[in-house]
Amino acid sequence: MNPYIMSIFLLGLGLGTTITFMSSHWLLAWMGLEINTLAIIPLMAQHHHPRSVEASTKYFLTQATAAAMILFASSTNAWITGQWDINELSHPMSSTIMMLGLALKIGLAPLHTWLPEVLQGLDLTTGLIMSTWQKLAPFSLLMQMNLNNSVMITMAIMSTMIGGWGGLNQTQLRKILAYSSIAHIGWMILVLQFSPSLTLITLMIYIFMTLSIFCLFKMNKTTSINSLAMSWSKSPTITALSPLILLSLGGLPPLTGFGPKWMILSELTKQDLNMIATITALSALLSLYFYLRLSYAMTLTLSPNTTPITNQWRFNTKQPTIHLSISTMLSLMLLPLLPGIMTIIN
Amino acid sequence: MSSILRFPSMRLLGCLHPQHHQHLLHPVLSRSVTQSEYRRPGKPREDKPPWQKINFSFSKGLDGIRKHLTLLKKEFLERWVGPQGKPILEHMLEQNRVVWEFRGPESLEQWTVSSDFEIGGQSEAYLKLGRNNTTCFLYGTLRSTPPKDGETRYSGYCSMRSKQPLASFDRKQHHDWTSFNTLHLRVRGDGRPWMINIAAETYFSHQKDDIYSYFLYTRGGPYWQEVKIPFSKFFLAHRGRVQDDQHPLWLDKINTIGFTLGDKADGPFQLEIDYIGVIKDYAHTEEFAYELYKRNPEV
Repeated sequence: MNPYIMSIFLLGLGLGTTITFMSSHWLLAWMGLEINTLAIIPLMAQHHHPRSVEASTKYFLTQATAAAMILFASSTNAWITGQWDINELSHPMSSTIMMLGLALKIGLAPLHTWLPEVLQGLDLTTGLIMSTWQKLAPFSLLMQMNLNNSVMITMAIMSTMIGGWGGLNQTQLRKILAYSSIAHIGWMILVLQFSPSLTLITLMIYIFMTLSIFCLFKMNKTTSINSLAMSWSKSPTITALSPLILLSLGGLPPLTGFGPKWMILSELTKQDLNMIATITALSALLSLYFYLRLSYAMTLTLSPNTTPITNQWRFNTKQPTIHLSISTMLSLMLLPLLPGIMTIIN
Repeated sequence: MSSILRFPSMRLLGCLHPQHHQHLLHPVLSRSVTQSEYRRPGKPREDKPPWQKINFSFSKGLDGIRKHLTLLKKEFLERWVGPQGKPILEHMLEQNRVVWEFRGPESLEQWTVSSDFEIGGQSEAYLKLGRNNTTCFLYGTLRSTPPKDGETRYSGYCSMRSKQPLASFDRKQHHDWTSFNTLHLRVRGDGRPWMINIAAETYFSHQKDDIYSYFLYTRGGPYWQEVKIPFSKFFLAHRGRVQDDQHPLWLDKINTIGFTLGDKADGPFQLEIDYIGVIKDYAHTEEFAYELYKRNPEV
């Protein structure tokens, strides 16, 4: 793509999210969300492959519906209470519709069905932008609203379970990452009403882990489990490290991914929601199963291949490896910093 | 009727068939409601209203329920085993898979045969099981005389297309061939050039005739011919016209495969197929065989 046009789209993405971050009026926040949607649509469809066009159409339809719901809820609230402030969304009907609209934006169950298909139709870079950057703006709005209803917890538990079960029999890596995104967003939304700063920490850590996974798949140029199994011949080092990244996504100690899950479970226990904490912890096992399956396919097995292909590791990759190295370090090594982080945010 | 003729548009309509003013609106409405739009030439006109077309039978209904519930149970149970019903190791190690094999009359149910008889031409095509019920035999006669409807200029084709796989309750299912990269056929033709058409899943209605094609040149001999065509060689065509904007075939949602003959040579033809399978060829690393058409090349 023409570099000027590409920079317009990327700057537009940044602009949209920044506008949503710094807005206190619902209309300005909605505007930022719309700028985000419109900026990413050409990025998704840039290859003009029918599947990319299908993915961008489905993305546009769902995000436009969500934006319409957000606009409707905020204007209804303004009609009834006269307040346009983001944290003054007090009428129960408005706050429910707003919650559903924002849930559709981020792909929270039961409004998650668009996410695997859309992610499957995109190339890995655009999928990365969609999974990480596009979640920031709706989360900033969710964190500023004071929500205290059980619909949110129900949707969060459904997300963790659907994210776990849905990803179980997938062989396409992008769909696996979509279901992992649904599950992680479920975890984040669980504690939103009790400790929004914990949600923010979980979101940040999730973004680093997803960044490292996408960079890993981009480096191996792979989109399915079978081609991921070839990574032992392309770069043995990263093949040895990537199970750790996957286990960090699954939430195993002593990796970074364990920290948010631990803190969320302790927060739920403090709020006396022991059953919900148990169900969520058990549904994390489902996600762990398919992360383990990915690491089994990639690292723990040596798949057959022809002799010329096994020499690929002798050549250095032409792609920049800085993103992968930094995000891998962040997603593996941050757990000892957790006490300090919790002191700061509490 | 005279009050309607006051409007200029209706007067225009009226001048088309001046003797049928009073019959203009009424039969068009009722016929399009009771029939679908296109009627295959040679089929009798059916003017039965929809409620008379119902064929109610208890045992067929029960059979249908049993069939769909069995399929549903199979879908639930195969999820426990692994992706696509196979354990993950088998899925990773799978190198060949036979997708269509003709070993009994029920295998012929998965295929649809058509020819230009549907548009009024004179070709014929039939499908039957070959010798010992081990192959399928597509045979017939090709005639390229165009039908006498005043608008068709060329004719003379016949084809065999697989039916879309269906899950329980007639939901669309797709073939997932992402682990493979080559199509492998064992055929015995008659020397004619056939075309293999693969239809993938599309989203928009204008994409429904998007088909990826490649050629199958058959030798006529009594010996069987093993043909291996990588999927990177398939090019995109829409209703037979090769598109400028090419892209590779995505293998994760394949609907149907078909064989077409339209080589303008009148006379009998035959094609015998033993099996159709897919292979993972490790030595084939090409992603797409054709130059991708960039409309605004970067300087």
